Amino acid sequence: MNAAIVTFLAYTAILIAIGIWSYRIVEKVPIAKYEKEFYAAGRGLGGIVVALIIAGGLASAGTFIAGPGMTYAYGYSWVLFNNFQIFMNLALLAPIGIIVGIVARRVNAVTYLDIFKARYQSKAIIILLAVLVTIFLIPYMSVQFVGSARVIAQMTDMGFFPSLALGSLVVLVYCVLGGMRGTSLAILIQGIVITVGCILLFIGTVNYAGGFKRSTEILAAQDINFLSPTMGGAFSPAFAFSIACITGLFVVGMPHAMLGALTYKNTRALKRGIWMGGILVLIWTLLLCMAGVIGRSIKPDLAVPDEIAPWLAMHVMPEALGGVVLAGIVAGIQTTVAAMAIIITSSIAKNLLRELKPDISSEKIKSASRWTMGGCLAIAIALALLQPPLIQWIIFFSIGGLQTATFGPILLGMFWKRGNQWGTIASITWGMITYALAKTIVPQIALWGTFESFVPTITSVIVYVVVSLATPNPSDKIIWTFWGPAMRTLKSNY
Amino acid sequence: MKFVEDPRIREGRKTLALAWLYFFIYLIVIMGSSYFLGIKPYLWGLPRWVAIGNIVVPIVFVIMLIFVVEKFIPDIPLTDDEEESEEKE
Repeated sequence: MNAAIVTFLAYTAILIAIGIWSYRIVEKVPIAKYEKEFYAAGRGLGGIVVALIIAGGLASAGTFIAGPGMTYAYGYSWVLFNNFQIFMNLALLAPIGIIVGIVARRVNAVTYLDIFKARYQSKAIIILLAVLVTIFLIPYMSVQFVGSARVIAQMTDMGFFPSLALGSLVVLVYCVLGGMRGTSLAILIQGIVITVGCILLFIGTVNYAGGFKRSTEILAAQDINFLSPTMGGAFSPAFAFSIACITGLFVVGMPHAMLGALTYKNTRALKRGIWMGGILVLIWTLLLCMAGVIGRSIKPDLAVPDEIAPWLAMHVMPEALGGVVLAGIVAGIQTTVAAMAIIITSSIAKNLLRELKPDISSEKIKSASRWTMGGCLAIAIALALLQPPLIQWIIFFSIGGLQTATFGPILLGMFWKRGNQWGTIASITWGMITYALAKTIVPQIALWGTFESFVPTITSVIVYVVVSLATPNPSDKIIWTFWGPAMRTLKSNY
Repeated sequence: MKFVEDPRIREGRKTLALAWLYFFIYLIVIMGSSYFLGIKPYLWGLPRWVAIGNIVVPIVFVIMLIFVVEKFIPDIPLTDDEEESEEKE
């Protein structure tokens, strides 16, 4: 057993211990407060944990595996594209964080769909979104397992299936046992491991390559387009702009990113979550992507570009440090899986079940939460056995689908009083149909070379506005709940 | 009863505007510097657009974000009941 494996196993043991410890905490919580504890960690998370939950949730295998993989394949152009995501915490928490924070406390919302339920008061929307969230997040979660299994397999030589088991079962333990409480404790450890791992990988790679100048000269000799911001015209500025919107502005619509907005303690935690998130995502993204492209000057003939980060970890630094880097990459993936598992479980076990069986007891919800989470993770692990070759495109497919369905209803729903359930249903339906067409038989919908979900997302916002204006206003109760004054103001005024 | 909007919602709208303005300025600067600075002369051994547009610009914007967020987003209570305000730590 080499030093890298020992380091990784130590990290895994810590996570399992966290899962068991947080299970004890959650089990002591009275049943009446169980949902708030399991899904929102008691709504008491500080800035650094909120920053990590959002950044770690959104930065997935797409950042930690495919990010360096894409820069390895397409040179510095994809460093630019990945840099668009640095302000994802700002793009999520600043636009809706305050209003979600206020409303969540007013209506005791602990899940993503609780906010939709309060805003649109529609059973159809809850069922529709619960189904869509499950459809898009399970494949997303599945490719995270694939990414982590590939990293572990490279490190240990023990094959894909045992690696898949090792990487996924630990998530199963701390998510199912500890819920959001376990996830938030684990993410603190994981955040440190990810950050240290990224810094080590970058330093080790630049050092091994003989510095920036030497690596740039080698890359120029291989293909001068590796040094171009458009990869020699392969990626237009319009495509770059659409990627900037998907990984920046549109993240408001990402359900697993909403976890941060539901769990932060106060506005000080919100502000810290925003700028700390910027620092963390900058370190993770920039260092890993730079390592990917510089790695091409060291090892130009990798058959699978996504394998560059683990390859570098195992070849350009001492074994023990390589183990830290690989643990960091796996940790980055696990944080995403954990956030997704919480969202899917809350959508099905809490919101969908409550819609279908309004009189269900809290005890049954508690039991359903754990069974649903275990079941969803098991399905994702089973799908991972198919071993899809191009995980980046599956990630983009899922992100595009989720944003197309939810960007308008979330953003406008928080700020525009006139928006209603009919606008939401029309917007989701329009978005899903146009996105499906753009991905299949009408690729021309992706105008000017933009990503396939860009035009459907923009047009679904227009549909939301038009249909809302053509249908009745939301009820006064909704308007007072979302935008009405605080009770103390009411008491003093009336 | 006449509807009166919660003043905290206005702060939420301002924060939305601030976030989007900041992100668009970042986008203009990073895309502008990436597409117009060119590859040569190399800076620190990297293509000029990479060194300035993709290392210096993101770092500067992340540092500026700390000041922008702390200065322009106010500390406001999230609960309606002052006695239960979570701002009191």
